Amino acid sequence: MTLLPWLVTAWLFGIGIYGIVTSRDYVHIIGSLSVCQSSTYVLLLSIGFRWHSGPPIFYEHPPGTASVDPVVHALVLTDIVVGAAVTALLLVIALQVHKRCGTTDPQQLRPLRHTK
Amino acid sequence: MSAAETLLPLAVLAPLGAAALLALLAHWLPARSGDCLAIVTSIAVAILCGWIADHALHGAIPHWFGGWTPASSHRSDVVLGIGFLADPASAAVACFCAFLFAMSFLFAWGYFDEVHSHFHVLMLLFLAAMIGFCLTHDLFNLFVWFELMSVAAFALTAYPLGQSSLEGAFNFTVTNAIASFLMLLGVGLLYARFGTMDISLMGREIGRAGSDPVVLAGFCLLAAALLTKAAILPFHMWLADAHAVAPSPVSVIFSGAMVSLGLFGLAKLIVQLFAGSQAVVAVVHGPLLWLGAATAILGGLMAWSQRHLKRLLAFSTISHLGIMLIGVATLQATGIAGLLLYLLGHGLVKGALFMVAGILLARHNSIDEIALYGKGRPLWPAGLAMVAGGVMLGGLPYGLLHSATHLIDGQVPGEAASAAMIVSGALTGAAVLRSALRIFFGWSGAPGPERAAPTEREHEMPDRPMILMMLPCLILTALALAPASLATPFITRAAPRLLDPFGSGAVALPTAGGVSASLATLAITLALTLLALLRHRPTSSGGRAIARVERAPLAAIDALHSGLLPDYVTWGTVGLALLASCAAAFGFT
Amino acid sequence: MTARWRLGLLIAAMLALAPAVWAVVTALPPFGSPTAAYGQVVNRLLPHLRTVSNMVAAVNFDVRGLDTLGEESMLLCAVTGAVVLLRGSRGEDRAEHAGRVPGRATIERDDASIVVCRIGAPILLAFSAYVALHGTVTPGGGFQAGAIAVSALLLVYLGDGYARWRSRVPHPLMAFIEGLGALLFVLCAALPLAWSVPALTSLLPTGKWKDLYSGGLMVPVNIGVALAVLGGFAVLVAEFMEETRTPESDPVPDEEDA
Repeated sequence: MTLLPWLVTAWLFGIGIYGIVTSRDYVHIIGSLSVCQSSTYVLLLSIGFRWHSGPPIFYEHPPGTASVDPVVHALVLTDIVVGAAVTALLLVIALQVHKRCGTTDPQQLRPLRHTK
Repeated sequence: MSAAETLLPLAVLAPLGAAALLALLAHWLPARSGDCLAIVTSIAVAILCGWIADHALHGAIPHWFGGWTPASSHRSDVVLGIGFLADPASAAVACFCAFLFAMSFLFAWGYFDEVHSHFHVLMLLFLAAMIGFCLTHDLFNLFVWFELMSVAAFALTAYPLGQSSLEGAFNFTVTNAIASFLMLLGVGLLYARFGTMDISLMGREIGRAGSDPVVLAGFCLLAAALLTKAAILPFHMWLADAHAVAPSPVSVIFSGAMVSLGLFGLAKLIVQLFAGSQAVVAVVHGPLLWLGAATAILGGLMAWSQRHLKRLLAFSTISHLGIMLIGVATLQATGIAGLLLYLLGHGLVKGALFMVAGILLARHNSIDEIALYGKGRPLWPAGLAMVAGGVMLGGLPYGLLHSATHLIDGQVPGEAASAAMIVSGALTGAAVLRSALRIFFGWSGAPGPERAAPTEREHEMPDRPMILMMLPCLILTALALAPASLATPFITRAAPRLLDPFGSGAVALPTAGGVSASLATLAITLALTLLALLRHRPTSSGGRAIARVERAPLAAIDALHSGLLPDYVTWGTVGLALLASCAAAFGFT
Repeated sequence: MTARWRLGLLIAAMLALAPAVWAVVTALPPFGSPTAAYGQVVNRLLPHLRTVSNMVAAVNFDVRGLDTLGEESMLLCAVTGAVVLLRGSRGEDRAEHAGRVPGRATIERDDASIVVCRIGAPILLAFSAYVALHGTVTPGGGFQAGAIAVSALLLVYLGDGYARWRSRVPHPLMAFIEGLGALLFVLCAALPLAWSVPALTSLLPTGKWKDLYSGGLMVPVNIGVALAVLGGFAVLVAEFMEETRTPESDPVPDEEDA
């Protein structure tokens, strides 16, 4: 049980990579990349977790109540913005590729290989 | 706080503020105001960083954001805030980045009129990220700047919206996004183990921990991420696709600063964070050194067999990053001094060469060495810059690159790595020299293996002021030709302070010498160039057989660089597995 | 490389990594009892030093405020990048015509959905202001508030259609708000330097614990983030939405966007 979160992290990352490698579509690659990234969420949140502790917000509980690590939560918030930024840009690129080439299959799209 | 301590954060905040201001007013600002603000900001940042670098010689300059100094936690094992720590080398690298940006803005004058000031917003954010990456002393903060750098680079690569640039940008984005996730996983593991993000504090804890699997895993993940950014075999595949298709002013920054910054970051982490771990040091001395040598050779061979000028330069960048990695792997103050000098010299030369490529794209709508044959004659100053660049890469026994190569070479154990440096230098130098003589001076020779390489009809914004394109190119070339003795007084004192930011003293550099190795490189360079330019189309059956034998290995390497994203990701995973196996082998024996 | 070879190589690499993963997993501090003291020191000190009750906000906007500044810049960067990359041939600005998939029926917008959207939008907008202002007290803060505010703007599109949405949520204004938020954050970081104290130092009074005003500098930084996220996502949505328009020069048979 105590190993489960770490194993889930490794699994999510690995399966995301598998998705990217076997993918035949840019949009599917973007989805797989998000799966990869969710492994970082799982790792960071698991690192900060403490048994029998509450949220790090001292409104109803007075300061001093046992609570989980707030630092990793802040890091995950940053991580989420990273994900949003990268996904937005990738979707824009996929959209433009589709407009110009009519396909988003990486097998048919290879930079600088068109005139070979 | 001293004046330098107070002003330190402005090196990052000024470009961020300028970017925000331009984004705010983008719809109303008159044309050219973006150019002006960007140039002024980057020059101011360069001056500030140079001044800080000079001050830092008397002791590293800290700045604790929000006033959260280590003392504010009242515990010796907790650092609450994020600190910047400017050692002389880091500040000098930041200064160089800002200077290169100023040159690139000048070169790009009028290029990006179509998108108002948005190009400058992206570039200024890019600059801020690089400066932050150089100066920060906090592991997670390093990740934040690493990622900001990547996001800006992704958007800039795809700017031309051509088919190749979009696909190159997509490959670049996905591979580098995976790298940033690896980095974050590594940071997370190290945080779980040591409970801090401060590099100095974590470095001390790692020294105590011995060969802990978590430390080794943290190193492998961080190294894989930074090696991806620095385009080292087998993580390097994205680079040629991205650098070859990005707008030339952006390629100048990519090749001149961004990728070598990845390697600089790796060097800094190894010496400041992991120096206490025997296993990591063993991995760096052994496998990383050979990885560098292999990268240098592979990049050189690929550069030699290109005809698309920017792709040629991109592969030559990969080759030179391999040489820089050899410098990192020495882990000696002398080798690090060589790395710093190489970073500077290579950035100047490669910046100038990409500017030459940009001039050709703007004037002749082509970047194909063979199609451009003889067309560059009226642009002879650019031709001279390109010849100078080629000769410097190919072992001219003078200038910054020569001294840097000599410093690294002196620290390399064994003859094989030295030989790799000579061969790769000659291959890349000869490739550049060959194209320069063909394009600008009309020397011919039937195309050899480069004939089969892919190329594409491209163009960049024409009708820009030629003087503003030529000037930065010539300035960079002239600076690269400066005698290294101007930089050595600074470098000798900066290198030991990179190894230990709170240390002192200076490293004694071997002064003269290394001329024989440089002359050997130069001789091979000139021989290869002549061979290419005197080549005839093979007519006899024997000649054709020789040509086939020559082309076969190059074609095989070329086939590996397939342009297919799934291949790139697979090779990256193989690289991570190799790193992990090496770390395990050294960590548990 | 064929697909089969590629997959084989990938699986071999992953199998080689498996023992390393196992070694790390068993060496980490056990799940649920972390050894890191950083977060616990924050939990102990910050409620007193800054009179805030939301520790995540305290880390985000004060202790590790520089990370958040980098994060907001990343958002600005991604949005600017999207604007740059989506330029070119398409229905800019006020194009009335929606792109249309042949053979797909166009359904008129129902009165009920218009009413729900018009009532919902202002409520959602007020709620986002609430979340933003209570960032230092309860779960929430600038980022979440900005995201909620953008969904309020999207309700305008859902209820009143593209043209009305375009005119009520002008693109330049949203870009202005985005830049303003980022600039506010940078100024909050840089201004303390004028008093020769470190960047991002809180010079404002800390306020009262559990009060709407608590945390000092966190309050303006929080608002800056809210503005930047609101403007940034609004621009992003507008840019993607324009992709659904057909260019004016390429007229489509009367397909009003009702």
